Amino acid sequence: MDLDKLRETAAEVAGRDDVKYLIGWKKGSYGYRIAPAFVEDAEAAAELIFSPLCTANLATYLTLVEKLPLPRGQEPDDRKVALMVKGCDSRAVAQLLAEKGIHRDEVVVIGCPCPGMVDPDLLAEKYPETEEPAELKWSDDGFVIVRDGEETAVPRDELLAEKCRLCRYPNPVVNDIMLDDPVETWEPAEDEGVTEIEEKEVDGRWAYWQEQFSNCIRCYSCRNVCPLCYCQDCILDRLNPTWVNRSVNFPENTAFNIARAFHLAGRCIECGECERVCPANIPLGKLNRKMAREIRDKYGFEPGLEPEGEPFQASYKPDDPEDFIL
Amino acid sequence: MSANFEPNIVAFLCNWCSYAGADLAGTSRVQYPSNVQIIRVMCTGRVNPLYVVNALQQGADGVLVSGCHPGDCHYMEGNYFARRRLGMLKDLLEFAGVDPRRFHMSWVSASEGHKWKEVVEKTVEDTREAGPFEGFRRRQIDW
Repeated sequence: MDLDKLRETAAEVAGRDDVKYLIGWKKGSYGYRIAPAFVEDAEAAAELIFSPLCTANLATYLTLVEKLPLPRGQEPDDRKVALMVKGCDSRAVAQLLAEKGIHRDEVVVIGCPCPGMVDPDLLAEKYPETEEPAELKWSDDGFVIVRDGEETAVPRDELLAEKCRLCRYPNPVVNDIMLDDPVETWEPAEDEGVTEIEEKEVDGRWAYWQEQFSNCIRCYSCRNVCPLCYCQDCILDRLNPTWVNRSVNFPENTAFNIARAFHLAGRCIECGECERVCPANIPLGKLNRKMAREIRDKYGFEPGLEPEGEPFQASYKPDDPEDFIL
Repeated sequence: MSANFEPNIVAFLCNWCSYAGADLAGTSRVQYPSNVQIIRVMCTGRVNPLYVVNALQQGADGVLVSGCHPGDCHYMEGNYFARRRLGMLKDLLEFAGVDPRRFHMSWVSASEGHKWKEVVEKTVEDTREAGPFEGFRRRQIDW
């Protein structure tokens, strides 16, 4: 993607009177780090980038912003927020719109067609993190790592993130401005991680998740980073009634993860952020992708495609499958 | 599992159909297993899927949710929502490694006392096969 065009467009959008700020990606403090950028003027827009390291889903910031009560006599700030989105992020925006979590007038969506992101963990494993600034670029058949002026070409399959291997919508589904021509979609890989667990016996699955969930430290990072976990009053924070106990042990961790997976069933757009931020490396994506797969196969529904559509759990069809009913 | 294990089953019944159906089974002197603890709710659409998880955590070995037949809901569409949600929950629990025999859903109308008996028998039998569900219990239930 042409970075000059990106910065130019960003400066123009951020400079508009009806836009409060623009959210994009910029280089982090060192190495491969990427930080979110909140751009209000042309100067800050010059720092924006879009590279294979921009895995973060910025749609979270739309609902994360704190809305304090206004002092008397002060007018609310009704200006829009501009947001740079990849394919998966745009599905989060579409889902938020469908759920009326945000209003279409509140956002300016700047679409970045995404040829696939790298997995930060894989990258750091193979090409260790440095303190010097490092960069990544797309090439025709993979990625190029730029470190100390040296360029290393890496094949695409070596570093491509799991969510991108499975990705079906690399091009933004909602957008006001497109920064580039749509990329060619690729054949999504078979989701072996989920199939592998599906094929286990019930006890084997229980043992598998027991091992995984025992590591959970209940930091709620997965909830905080999720663009679709935006309830003002989250059941996990509630004490009365206590839906999920706060103690960190296997049964409670399981209940918590089941509750979260259920709340995202029919809503998760598979951006993989929960898995990326999890300090215990729990494969949370598998739970969510399993639910997405069931819902796609059984109900023919996919979240995050229709901004005007009805949310899955708030609708029904008279002929929904009921083979499980006695 | 030992054959004389008596499972605890929590049943969420809708006020308008299944609860009346269970009542009919009682007044008609239909004999059915006494392992079910019935909780009356106004509609199956009111059953939060976390009720099921919480019941399993707090001592239930199996859970049954029962409501009106599709189209017969007192609130027109509550059981359609329930069917969608609890169907997903069943898939999720199964994927998480909870034995699918522990969670059942059924449609029992107010006139189906005998069907209620069959449903309970099936649930109890399945749960008995699945055995006690110790791994998921909330620790320190009694302080």
